Amino acid sequence: MEDSPAGTVNRATSLLRWYPKEWRARYGDEFAELLISDLAERPRSWRRTLDVARNGLVARMSAVGLGGGALEPRAQARASLASLGCALAVFLAFGVAMWSQLTIGWQWSDPDTTATRAAMVVMSGAVVLFVGLVLLAAIPVGWEIGKRLARRQGQGLLRPTALALACAAVLIIGSHHFGNGWPGTGGHAWSHQGLVPGGVAAFSWASTLWVSSYWAHPSALLSFPAGEIAWMGISPAAVIGLVVGATKTLRRLDLSPRTLRYEGRLSKIATLGMLVFLGGCGSWVVDGGPGPRNLFHTGAIDVGGLVVMAAALAIAHRAVSRARRGGTWQAAG
Amino acid sequence: MAKARGSREREGKTPQGLGTFGRYAGPATLILSSLAEGAKHGYALTKDIEAFAGVRLAPGTLYEALSRLQGQGLIEAVASDDRRRPYRLTAVGAAALRAHLDAQRRVADVGLRRLAGTWG
Repeated sequence: MEDSPAGTVNRATSLLRWYPKEWRARYGDEFAELLISDLAERPRSWRRTLDVARNGLVARMSAVGLGGGALEPRAQARASLASLGCALAVFLAFGVAMWSQLTIGWQWSDPDTTATRAAMVVMSGAVVLFVGLVLLAAIPVGWEIGKRLARRQGQGLLRPTALALACAAVLIIGSHHFGNGWPGTGGHAWSHQGLVPGGVAAFSWASTLWVSSYWAHPSALLSFPAGEIAWMGISPAAVIGLVVGATKTLRRLDLSPRTLRYEGRLSKIATLGMLVFLGGCGSWVVDGGPGPRNLFHTGAIDVGGLVVMAAALAIAHRAVSRARRGGTWQAAG
Repeated sequence: MAKARGSREREGKTPQGLGTFGRYAGPATLILSSLAEGAKHGYALTKDIEAFAGVRLAPGTLYEALSRLQGQGLIEAVASDDRRRPYRLTAVGAAALRAHLDAQRRVADVGLRRLAGTWG
């Protein structure tokens, strides 16, 4: 059965959606013409559909600096670094949720296994490393944005930067508010016996409250205070806004080759930190045991978190190797 | 070895040939060979390659190979009012195609000579 000319155009247009926006802007018209000719000649072909889908995904991977054909070197480095930032954000969302479980448990009682104790020390060290790396990475980027905005050269930077800052503010203020409201740590006399100060434990718990198995148990979830349930919806939206804003800013900011190499080196250290942190999580989940009063009990959400974090680490590793490739080429030019 | 690779990477502006094309090296060779006789747009490339090589390149594969070839400077788009934009070989592309086909011919010559010697 043959399609009408309008039907053929519609099918070509829908196949084109497999490709990213930038690719469509460059090749969209001519590719649509080829598809229309091909569809007229062979109206039904699952191999064509699979081929377009696969190569569309390759183009999407290329656009975010993770695969496919290499972009222009500096664009490649920027895209790869932005993807690494996304992967790190996902990793930290689940990682900090797991870490906060341990930090809060330790406020009540010391862990009774070496595996949990080692996990806690390793993860805490890695968290300190991540905080330092994020600050070190943000300083030259912030400086460059400030310079551009001061010189009125920051077209396209203002909105994503404002989005990232606003979402970061929501996340910090909200986490501080809900952390203070939690009776398990903040403000209590016994809340200072853990490896990590109680306020930090409560803050990290509140910031990752949405990483929860309660989503699978709506009746139990509805017994929470309305404010906490709302926060469980707002906080992931703020994380997404922060990541989208930061990613767009980074991709639009034409950093110097020297700064890109500096960021690339920090990224490599961050990937190693992710590996160490994941090792700590694994030690706890696999061999930690429930601990006294079930304080260090692990559940399906923790196992799922480990899988997500391992996937994020693999993406980060890929991004770092691609970013380094872009940075190395640029060193010549 | 590391030093050699590093110096090669630093030579980012020199043509890299088809060695970096991975699974798109075959389609890229066919496209360059087709463009060696003159500029063509996507559908004309598909039909020409089908005629001389007996291979029908699927649209997605054709355009991924085209975008990589263009990214490496081996082909370039020709200005056109038509939505079907033609592409043509560049001098760098012609050199890369010649080097690639010479290497393939050497392999083919050795294989055929050995076949003739052993299998008649």
